[in-house]
Amino acid sequence: MPETADTTKEKGRSNMATDLARAAKKAVTRGGDKVERVAKRFSVKDVNLFYGDFHAVEDVSMTIEPNQVTALIGSSGCGKTTVLRSLNRMHELTPGARVEGEVALDNQNIYAPNVDPVEVRRLVGMVFQAPNPFPTMSAYENVAAGLSLNRRGISKSEKDDIVEKSLRGAHLWDEVKDRLDRKGSALSGGQQQRLCIARAIAVEPEVLLMDEPCSALDPVATLAVEDLIEDLKTRYTIVIVTHNMQQAARVSDVTAFFNLEAAGKPGRLVEMDATDKMFTTPSKKETEDYVSGRFG
Amino acid sequence: MPEARLHYQDQLDALERNCLSGLDLVIASLDRTMEAVEHQDMELAELVIADDDRIDGRYLEVHQEILTMLATQAPVATDLRLISALLHVMHSIERMGDQCVNISKVIPLTGNDAPVHDEMVDRILLMGKQGRSMLSQAKKAFEGRDVELARDLVRQDDLIDNLNKECFKIAVRVGEEEDIREWAMTMMLVARALERIGDNAVDIGEQVAFVVTGLFREFEDASHPGQAPLPSS
Repeated sequence: MPETADTTKEKGRSNMATDLARAAKKAVTRGGDKVERVAKRFSVKDVNLFYGDFHAVEDVSMTIEPNQVTALIGSSGCGKTTVLRSLNRMHELTPGARVEGEVALDNQNIYAPNVDPVEVRRLVGMVFQAPNPFPTMSAYENVAAGLSLNRRGISKSEKDDIVEKSLRGAHLWDEVKDRLDRKGSALSGGQQQRLCIARAIAVEPEVLLMDEPCSALDPVATLAVEDLIEDLKTRYTIVIVTHNMQQAARVSDVTAFFNLEAAGKPGRLVEMDATDKMFTTPSKKETEDYVSGRFG
Repeated sequence: MPEARLHYQDQLDALERNCLSGLDLVIASLDRTMEAVEHQDMELAELVIADDDRIDGRYLEVHQEILTMLATQAPVATDLRLISALLHVMHSIERMGDQCVNISKVIPLTGNDAPVHDEMVDRILLMGKQGRSMLSQAKKAFEGRDVELARDLVRQDDLIDNLNKECFKIAVRVGEEEDIREWAMTMMLVARALERIGDNAVDIGEQVAFVVTGLFREFEDASHPGQAPLPSS
């Protein structure tokens, strides 16, 4: 019955909200890195991803630890972006795409029938390859956009505070504070990408997914975003897809390598381990060949 | 190995060849050094000292090549371990070259007509032969990534260590004459330098194990003898 489904949905949401509140209260130091807020852990179990009949990703199981940067690497077509998009239910937006298996954010399966995908996407923010600020909105409005949607009735001063905090969090405040009313699209590429990161963190997500966030940026802007990623992990769980292996080596704590046996075969997770181990003594020859550039 | 990064692979291979052939330079230097010891040949000893510039030059060359590789190719995984190992190996080579120089410098101290204790000389010449064979073995183990052959260097090194101890015992009871005692003291410096060459060969063996396994453990822990050698695998 529709009523029952709705009730369950509400219950599911409130549980996630309670978990979020509980996590937000904690401030602990872990593994040498200062953790300002304990974010959430992803548990991916036996996940298979399809585009229509095409089996894109096969049997992926992995745990993505909170307050760490996990890098997904692998050559094009190995399924890493597909896996990333399955973590905030964006995969299913592609017509014909489907997900099998379980993806849990802490203990909540985000694919459970009572879970609202919109709520999942609030908890799991995404930053895309090409900076995509809303072109007609000012820098301020870009950051506040999600707030207006998620928190109706928020006061102007509260909004100002969150916009400032988010822009500071994205290392952009000093550069734009005097021109918050200018169009977001008038900023440089690197600034636009940091604006998108500010927009993503304004709604206080648990996880930030980044799909090649620096591939359209110059080296200086890239390093600025990498520094930012290092800072952000004190508050968020971060998953980054990158083709730049040195970037994976620089920014991530854990690296997961995806590959496919042959063209047309599904992508699979080959090896996942601490980043320094993956880049000094990987366990699998396949990983070794990829990280040392001997593929092709 | 898939055919990719061919130029990079060529650079790595050339770097390894350049570094390991430094061992051939040390072998040549050691051969001359031992000949100079055996015949108290001061001219030959001077040649060893002058020729050490070649080994030092090789050290600087390999060092610069390594810096360039690190800066331009961002090596990772086995390549990174290899480059790190080559830096250590090159350092050991440079040290062994210096040991040959140390020996060559003391040869004139024994004088032209030094009294000679044959038993001690025999042992020192044996130490030189053993050191030479260890250098060849270290090179072969590195080239073949042969951990077992590398580990065998420890056993080989025990022979040098034992000869060194025997020399010490001989020197202690070499006689009352000041000349022979002075000669024996000088020969102990030679034995000590040869003993260090053996240790450096073992160090190279440890780097072989590091390249292959990714684990760095001393084959024999000098501060805790008899304990915790690398587990065989």
